[in-house]
Amino acid sequence: MSAAARSQHAEPILSARGIVNCFGKQRVHDKVDLDVEAGEVLGIAGGSGSGKSVLLKTLIGLHRPDSGKVLIEGKPIEAISADEKAALIGVLFQQGALFSSLSVAQNVMLPMREYTDLPVSEQEKIAAVKIELTGLSADSAMKFPAQLSGGMVKRAALARALALDPRMLFLDEPTSDLDPLTAGGIDELIMQLNRGLGLTVVIVTHDLTTLLTVCDRVAVLVEGKITVGTVDQLARSHDPWIREFLHGPRAQGAMNARKSNHGIR
Amino acid sequence: MAGASSKSSTPMLAIEGEGDRLSFEGVLGLCTLTQARQALEHWRKQRKSRVLDVSKLSGLDTPGAMFLCELRDKHVELAGVQSEHAALLELIGGLPRKPLTKPPTIARWRQLVIQLGKGADDFWHDSLDILTFVGRSLSAFGHALRHPSSLRPASISRQIAETGIHALPIVALMAVMISIVIGYQSVAQLRPYGGEDFTISLIAVSVLREMGVLITAIMVAGRSGSAFTAEIGVMKAREEIDALNSMGLEPFDLLVLPRMIGLIITLPLLTFFADIMGLLGGAMIAQSLLHISLSQDLERVREAVSISDFGVGLIKAPVFAFFIATVGCMHGLRVRGSAESVGRETTRAVVKAIFLVIVFDALFSVFFEKVGL
Repeated sequence: MSAAARSQHAEPILSARGIVNCFGKQRVHDKVDLDVEAGEVLGIAGGSGSGKSVLLKTLIGLHRPDSGKVLIEGKPIEAISADEKAALIGVLFQQGALFSSLSVAQNVMLPMREYTDLPVSEQEKIAAVKIELTGLSADSAMKFPAQLSGGMVKRAALARALALDPRMLFLDEPTSDLDPLTAGGIDELIMQLNRGLGLTVVIVTHDLTTLLTVCDRVAVLVEGKITVGTVDQLARSHDPWIREFLHGPRAQGAMNARKSNHGIR
Repeated sequence: MAGASSKSSTPMLAIEGEGDRLSFEGVLGLCTLTQARQALEHWRKQRKSRVLDVSKLSGLDTPGAMFLCELRDKHVELAGVQSEHAALLELIGGLPRKPLTKPPTIARWRQLVIQLGKGADDFWHDSLDILTFVGRSLSAFGHALRHPSSLRPASISRQIAETGIHALPIVALMAVMISIVIGYQSVAQLRPYGGEDFTISLIAVSVLREMGVLITAIMVAGRSGSAFTAEIGVMKAREEIDALNSMGLEPFDLLVLPRMIGLIITLPLLTFFADIMGLLGGAMIAQSLLHISLSQDLERVREAVSISDFGVGLIKAPVFAFFIATVGCMHGLRVRGSAESVGRETTRAVVKAIFLVIVFDALFSVFFEKVGL
């Protein structure tokens, strides 16, 4: 898409500079720099325990780094007010984090109820559209989170993340715990939202298929350092972990999927 | 793209034009939706063929696109759609856009009847559950007594520390407070008859027979009964109970029995401690309100109280402990699935445990009265 072309002149929508995070003696992030360009899909990959989720939490301001700063559109994240942030950032948490006492529709309407003064009938209409947009049927809107399957939870949580039409979407392991077909549906949905709504998407995942088929660029966290590039650039990397990651047996199937998918694109 | 020019300021929408042609300028989105809808409400009713010029829109989000799609469905022609907005319109327009289904509403009186029925059914099943669980606990307890080697001393001693030793300060405080309350009330009530000296025996008897054990049991039900439910409930929610079962280990022996035995050991000890502290509180009251010294006070207590008063209080403790532990563990094992249900079961366990403690206390009172103790 045009993200690459745009990135050459526009300034990044989000940039992280010199992020350091330590847990005890372990230095999880060692001066990590990361830029997210407007309109792109960026994947953040890395082994288990490499600090992917912590990096995501740092980027959205839920975790305060030990040093370093995060700028969204040139503004430090701590300086952004809550309602501005709500309109700017949507987050899909790993377990969905749907409010269990509210139905799906109420979950989606909650941010609208708090931040806008739209009449309830209007909110319901918008919520219905968001829920349909994420591929759920209108009947599941009245269900409660406990009644939903894993894939439906992710879709409902995505609908809630989209409630205020944020410009950036952060997804924490959107396809984990899902069967391959459902995961494929989520991948398709992410691409659709990125293209249709012009959303900037940051995905934390170790799902190779998602990384290779959906993401424009991939950032790989290895031993506290980050390497960013397109998949083709990363494939030529000399780092042993990245080599193993992208050339291992599990990567081959994903690579094939990527080829066929790019044919469609 | 959307709203890039309106980063900090609130997005604005200007509506211009007249007759059957209107044009939008600015941002059509979440914040300007109501404005747009109100402006068009009037306009749409007046004319038959209408054109809406959207070429000057600088921003469009999903609610805005939804609005435009609705207009298009009502035969309003959208003119000058920009290419970047066209994709969004196509995406939203392609959705079925069904209204949310409302759950069928049930008449109030029928809801009441349904609730009553449900409540009765729940109560019936609850009672059966408790009965089953009590039976199971008793059988496991009996088995443990016959085979003491199957007990787990380590986990029992951990439970004793958790439910007993850590509860000492709060139990002491409660016991002292309760005798202060009784003391003040009885001094005030008995003084007109010149019988305020009986305050000492009143405190001693009521603390030893009733208050010591009751307050301690209620405290323990709130403190340890809830902890049992939460601990076992979380294990259940995280499939740890299933893991135990799959290894052929009996969760009942591993989790329920140590808690039960631990509490049956600690509650009488705690009650004894509460009795002492209650008498101490009584002595404090005697000292400050009646100016009776500690040695005199102890003399009076010895006269007023028989060993059976002390025994009546203490004998109830293991029974209460058994019910508190049973109800706590039972509700822990009844947790289903989510973390939400842990909270619900914990509430139920505490309420039920305190209820049972008070019911059995009343039964004991009647029983001891009949027996003449």
